[in-house]
Amino acid sequence: AARCARWVCTAAERRPWRLFGAMCLLRLPRVTQEMEKEEEEVAALMAQVRGEQEKSCYSDHEIRKLEEEEQLKKRKESLYDDDEGSGKTLIMAQDLEDKWEQKLLQFKAAPRITDADKNNNRTSLDRKLDSNLMLLVKQKIGNQELWLLPQVEWQPGETLRSTAERAMATFLGDHVQAKILGNAPYGIYKYKFPKAIRTEDNVGAKVFFFKAFLQSSDLSRAEPKADHLWVTKNELGDYLKSEYLKKVNRFLLDL
Amino acid sequence: MSAVVLCSRNGALLKQVFALSRAATPREDHLCAAGDALLSCHRSYRSRPTHGIGRYKYLLPKETPKKKKDRVQMKEINTGTEYEYGDINIQMTSYDLCLVEHFAQYVHRLCNRLSVRVNESYAMPTRTNEVLFLEERGSKMQLDAVLTTHQRIVQISGLSSTFAPILLEIIQSNQPEGVHLLMKEHTEADFKSRLKSRPELEELLAQMT
Repeated sequence: AARCARWVCTAAERRPWRLFGAMCLLRLPRVTQEMEKEEEEVAALMAQVRGEQEKSCYSDHEIRKLEEEEQLKKRKESLYDDDEGSGKTLIMAQDLEDKWEQKLLQFKAAPRITDADKNNNRTSLDRKLDSNLMLLVKQKIGNQELWLLPQVEWQPGETLRSTAERAMATFLGDHVQAKILGNAPYGIYKYKFPKAIRTEDNVGAKVFFFKAFLQSSDLSRAEPKADHLWVTKNELGDYLKSEYLKKVNRFLLDL
Repeated sequence: MSAVVLCSRNGALLKQVFALSRAATPREDHLCAAGDALLSCHRSYRSRPTHGIGRYKYLLPKETPKKKKDRVQMKEINTGTEYEYGDINIQMTSYDLCLVEHFAQYVHRLCNRLSVRVNESYAMPTRTNEVLFLEERGSKMQLDAVLTTHQRIVQISGLSSTFAPILLEIIQSNQPEGVHLLMKEHTEADFKSRLKSRPELEELLAQMT
């Protein structure tokens, strides 16, 4: 209770910094990344080593297949027995395998490199299915139009996390299903206003970044209010300013 | 044997005694000579100062007798500025056994490296599902495939709220294809699901009441 009282007292003072909450909306990768050459070699080696170490046993299907092969051999060697009859096993394990192989050939997987990749259409979510995509919005700060993570000013009485949620809602509409994992911000970027605007009360601004994960990739109901882009971490450098980029890069996990 | 009778603490006297005993029992002498060079005929009897020289079990901490059913709850309070989660279960399910086991091992080792306390790491019993294929022209269901679902659970505790989202993100980005991940708090129901129910006991109890 004492802590709360102290917080209320300091909020009443005029602080020279303006606070913003920004949202870093991530679309998680849908496909695993392709392995590099060294990784593939290591994986093959490990599979070999593990195969010897773990000493895995044969599965039911494999045991059945081996038994049937032996039965066939015996039948061929010992000339045709009438007692065997039409065979107990109507479907042999080998037939099953052939059937499954045919099914596999018929199955066609979805392409990993989509049309959006070929067109380099940065506003679509289908691009770059194997890496994280982040939302960037064009916002007006002062007199400049800048590409930023969507941010909105903090209003007293609300938590910074709800500020970030509001930022997301203002730029993408209310129907975005995104999950924020914790109440703590991931990063902070503070800057001072240019001397022309600076007053005693308004020295500069602090932007707190929050991270959210996009649950559904269906954004047809979202109404984008401004220009927006979905970019990967490598492409951030094309859009963001260097200082801002440095702080943002600190909390971006790109595996 | 003369050594037994005398039982003296004087070293010199003992040597004399043993010399006498050796002369008296030549068979033993042969045994001693034929055996290992380190084989000695000295034995510490209870009055010797070296009695009990190899004892160590009294130094070990006392073992409490194990009970049949373990303690269930170890919940922590989730309030305050030091926001800490109680027991959390990370459940990984998949059809592929090797994949889910290796992923569970990876998660366990990751928690060890990040000094997150791992309480337990166990497996739930596998469920077998039969996939029946309905023929297009006909009402008979034909057996198409038998799928087994495997589940591994890693239980951690003492996760701080500032670190939890980072850990979750790392695990999520390293999730392999085909593995479902679920993180939830450990409840009594989760604990009970691991135990087998005893229908006969329950029947008898119902009859009694």
